[in-house]
Amino acid sequence: MRDEHIIDLLDSAPLNSLSMDQVESIRTHNLSCVACERAYRAATISQMVIKERSQAVVDPSPFFQTKVLAVLRERQAAESVPAFARLWKSAGALVSSMALTTAALAALSFMVPTQSPAEATATAFSAESVLLDQGSDDQMSYEQVLSTIYADEDEAK
Amino acid sequence: MELARQAQAGDESAFGEIVRRYSPRVFSVASKFFRQRSSVEEAAQEVFLKAFTQLKSFEGRGSMEGWLTRIATNTCLNMLRSAKRRPELTVSDLTEDENKWLDDQLYDIAGESRHSVEQTLIAADLADRVLEVLPPEDQLALLMIDGEDASVKEVAEATGWSESKVKVRAFRARKKVREAMDKLLGNKHRGGAVTNEG
Repeated sequence: MRDEHIIDLLDSAPLNSLSMDQVESIRTHNLSCVACERAYRAATISQMVIKERSQAVVDPSPFFQTKVLAVLRERQAAESVPAFARLWKSAGALVSSMALTTAALAALSFMVPTQSPAEATATAFSAESVLLDQGSDDQMSYEQVLSTIYADEDEAK
Repeated sequence: MELARQAQAGDESAFGEIVRRYSPRVFSVASKFFRQRSSVEEAAQEVFLKAFTQLKSFEGRGSMEGWLTRIATNTCLNMLRSAKRRPELTVSDLTEDENKWLDDQLYDIAGESRHSVEQTLIAADLADRVLEVLPPEDQLALLMIDGEDASVKEVAEATGWSESKVKVRAFRARKKVREAMDKLLGNKHRGGAVTNEG
């Protein structure tokens, strides 16, 4: 054992299941092998933490049974509803709002009266002429401007 | 078997009795995989709901406890598979308490000092961190064999794996955990060079 590493022995079985002879030979070997001594130390601590970990058990709460039965009832109730009804329940609001929007848009497109093309041209023309007329009304002639200026000067004198 | 038959026929109180009678066992299995009460409870609940839907497959050949243990093991393994694994553990990942606990163990390798409840919890937390480097199946094999002194045969029965698969998983897990721990201890005491390899 002195010339053989004991690392494989450490990994082959839990430390506490090794025989006294095996433990003794490990200790003897470790006196002259730093690597195996380190491995043994790591294995001992690993074994210790795993023991502690496996003792940490959560106990069921007194309400656990009631809770499981309630969830079971809930799931059974959900399964008893037909597939289409479940789909409608989840997407019904969205489908309804989309249908309403489509109906409103259709109503606006087909029911609100629109102008005929001839009327529209006439309206456009009349608007244009009004603008042009306004432009000609606002425009002052050169003479009018001069007379207005000199009239003000004469009054000032 | 009678309870299972009644529960299968829709008798809710019979199923309630199954939950009451076997929840300690199911919680014990789920506790191997999870530490948080909420996670353990969630897993246990899923186990019983799954058991209810699979009651027809329980033919009464084995014990109800064994059947539920197997469902619990597979359910928890599936839940844990979706969790992210830590590729490597370093000293910086450890809390101050965990570091101190490791230091204490280094100077008390024979484990002669008495451990308080707090120390036990720190050790369990540390175990969780170390176990995170393993796949869930390896964690289970190691916790059952090294932690609970279960035999290879018992693990094989609980998981449905072959005995050789259990042995391989336990060996691999033990090796990986030891190496992770060795690395942690080495990093803590860097400077202590390894001079002798045999």
